[in-house]
Amino acid sequence: MSDRRLSRRSLLGAGALSALDLTGCDRALSALTKIAGDRVPDPIEPPSSPAIDPIHHLLGRAGFGPWPGQVEEVRRIGKEAYIDAQLDPDAIDDTACALRTSVIDTVATPTSLLFEFPPEQVEVELQRHALLRAVYSKRQLYEVMVEFWTDHFNVAIGKSLCRHLKTADDRDVIRAHALGRFRDLLGASALSPAMLVYLDGRANARGPKGERPNENYARELMELHTLGLHGGYTQKDVMEAARCLTGFVVREEWAPGLVEFVPERHDDGPKTVLGHVIPAGGGRADVERLLDIVASHPITGWFIGEKLCRTFIADRPPASIVRRAADVFHETDGDIKKVVRAILLSDELAESTWAKIKRPFRLVVSALRAVGADTHAKGDLLDHLTRMGQPLFSFPTPDGYPTQGDAWLGTLLWRFNFALALAEDRIDGTRVDWEALHHALRGDGLHGDTASLARLARHLFGRAPDETELAAVAGYGAGRDPRRVALLLSAPAFQRY
Amino acid sequence: MSATRPLLVCVYLRGAADALNLVVPYADDRYYALRPTLAVARPDDPRAAAKDRAIDLDGRFGLHPSLAKLAPLYGAGELAVVHAVGSDDATRSHFEAQDRMEHAGPKDEPAAGGWIARHLDTRPGRRAAGLTAVAAGTSAPESLRGAPVAVLRSVDEYRLGKTEDAAFERALAALYASRPSDGAPPLDADLRTAGRDALATLGRLRRIPEPSARGAAYPEGPLGDGLREIARLSRADLGVEVACVDHDGWDTHFVEAQLLPDLARTLGDALFAFREDIGDAMDRVVVVCMTEFGRRAYENTSLGTDHGRGGIMFVLGGGVRGRRVITDWPGLAEDRLEPPGDLAVTIDFREILAEIVRARLGNPRVEEVFPKTRLRRWGLFG
Repeated sequence: MSDRRLSRRSLLGAGALSALDLTGCDRALSALTKIAGDRVPDPIEPPSSPAIDPIHHLLGRAGFGPWPGQVEEVRRIGKEAYIDAQLDPDAIDDTACALRTSVIDTVATPTSLLFEFPPEQVEVELQRHALLRAVYSKRQLYEVMVEFWTDHFNVAIGKSLCRHLKTADDRDVIRAHALGRFRDLLGASALSPAMLVYLDGRANARGPKGERPNENYARELMELHTLGLHGGYTQKDVMEAARCLTGFVVREEWAPGLVEFVPERHDDGPKTVLGHVIPAGGGRADVERLLDIVASHPITGWFIGEKLCRTFIADRPPASIVRRAADVFHETDGDIKKVVRAILLSDELAESTWAKIKRPFRLVVSALRAVGADTHAKGDLLDHLTRMGQPLFSFPTPDGYPTQGDAWLGTLLWRFNFALALAEDRIDGTRVDWEALHHALRGDGLHGDTASLARLARHLFGRAPDETELAAVAGYGAGRDPRRVALLLSAPAFQRY
Repeated sequence: MSATRPLLVCVYLRGAADALNLVVPYADDRYYALRPTLAVARPDDPRAAAKDRAIDLDGRFGLHPSLAKLAPLYGAGELAVVHAVGSDDATRSHFEAQDRMEHAGPKDEPAAGGWIARHLDTRPGRRAAGLTAVAAGTSAPESLRGAPVAVLRSVDEYRLGKTEDAAFERALAALYASRPSDGAPPLDADLRTAGRDALATLGRLRRIPEPSARGAAYPEGPLGDGLREIARLSRADLGVEVACVDHDGWDTHFVEAQLLPDLARTLGDALFAFREDIGDAMDRVVVVCMTEFGRRAYENTSLGTDHGRGGIMFVLGGGVRGRRVITDWPGLAEDRLEPPGDLAVTIDFREILAEIVRARLGNPRVEEVFPKTRLRRWGLFG
């Protein structure tokens, strides 16, 4: 593997470690992806109503916000057809995005071989990969669901082997099942080597008398992953579940990251979880029985449905849609696609314009998409996320980054700094063709005056700017001063979706 | 301007710090029976190396040896320990227990916003703004929910753009001043206030001097960095009244003996460095360390401890009647433990915070900070 580490591809992949800016290779890649579709169409007709454009709104919920021209494109296809296409991500051609991420070696590396790479490289590449996918993938809804489950089954890369193993978890658990069946996702997560390390499942073994297992994962399985805190389980249920989960270890040498079941470490006595008896002698199958019980529990459908509604609709979603989401979850035996479809096509979602405040990741991705940025997601961009309070895959505790808007209001200054850096082309590895964007938006042949500023605002906000917004921005500087763009990206309107 | 305002520093030990190993009930034999491998040796245990023994506090309790730096502060009467303290939340969920503790509402009732925010709302004087509350790090804790808060890792990096641009800041302020024409979406006022507060903070931090030459030996990491910046803000006298900083990583389910010493050493060293750095101004500073709950009295099979109940607090400050372990010790006998085997909670954490709010922060409206809560007094201050 040492030869592989020195390969040109790997060097590029470790871009955040080396000092490569937009190198020859990056430029070639940028050009290729432009041909493959990552370009700003010309002209663009931005929304003009004082109310938020419904398609602009939808693209903020079913994705990370519109790419230039995407609103018109989806308007042509129609809302329902677009959502249905998004729900079948494998059928969507994603060549340009695949090209962008093709330089990242580690995300495609088999688990045991991941340990051949230095942890810094694995960590940074995973973060870069997430950003590039969110910005460029045409499978936007899929990427939103990847983000959702990444928080739901949070694994922080800061904890021991997770630095390497989260990459496998991202690929084999989260991405493999993001729009699949909840039970499959849960099963993959429970035995994911990263999760076994993060929540100490690998240390959970029977005691001399079968007692006192490590409760860490068992508790979060019920509290965070399935039933929710008030889901009716007891401390006794946690302890019984922990007994079911004894016996799994994660290899650290010879095929590191391999998960094995060691029967001698397993508590094979009878257990009772949530009133269900799991007879003695189940061995390795105990975990599957346990997961069947918690995944099919009616409370789980409600818990997941409600959380999806909070994510897709509003911090306090209407009870009607929560009920419907829970019902669909229940009726379809946890078919994530069906639940998400019901939410995305609901009236409640259509009526929830601007109810949500962007988290830093969304703020960054939506800005890069809105201006059609050419980014290789280098360390500089990752630093901006850290300053805003959302370093990727780094939330220390298993509950994941908060979804509610008010958790993020203390770091607005760093959003302003990001907007300035983006507008002034000061982010290493990220460039914007402002000329192309202005040209596409210009339409009426005006340059940098209040009218074209208003068109840019309409493009970014998805609605016409009001008088005070326009006056504040137009009153600053003159012409195409990039700081005027920074003001628009810093405005309250751009913090919402 | 605000030199007489007291400063509250709130250190949160996230992940549920193991109270029983931080402040060891070494006089209780049950402790040694419950923790055959994890127990900290008695202060006079001849079989243990001196460096591995608990440091005696009062004949009953001893500090973990990695907290050695706290011993002189305790000896000087500036530090008090509160043991078997905690909340009425028995979920043993980190997130719920932290939330309940940081919101500090009445039993089984969620409180609006954080307890520190309610203190700032009800204390005498002007409305809190800009730099009144600081969170050291990259996010604000729940205890400050509802208060204007400046989140910063360091004073020096709290800057906007490469060069100062007053016109840009004015334009931003105008954007955050105007109400939207299309009705008010959720959190509209909060978002706008937060934007204007960030700009106000920016202006005030420009006046702060370079770091002092005092150079106290803070440990590396977010806690040491945070306390260093808090000391700096305190010296600059910009009106900071509350500052929060987190110390993460206390969830020691597994191989606790390998994890706890470093966590404890960082805590002790950071508090000691802060005390040195603050100097005479300690008269107006009170530091409180808290954690969501303690850990199971008995160890588990992976040489760690699971989620428990009774926890620990440290209170450090000029006016503190220290050199005491404040406790209504429930004991570790089988019938005294809270099932399935946890140190019971005998002091409500709000009682301790309420004394700080009333006696130290000069806020008489303590019943509004901790509504509908019976608040016994423990004589934490003279």
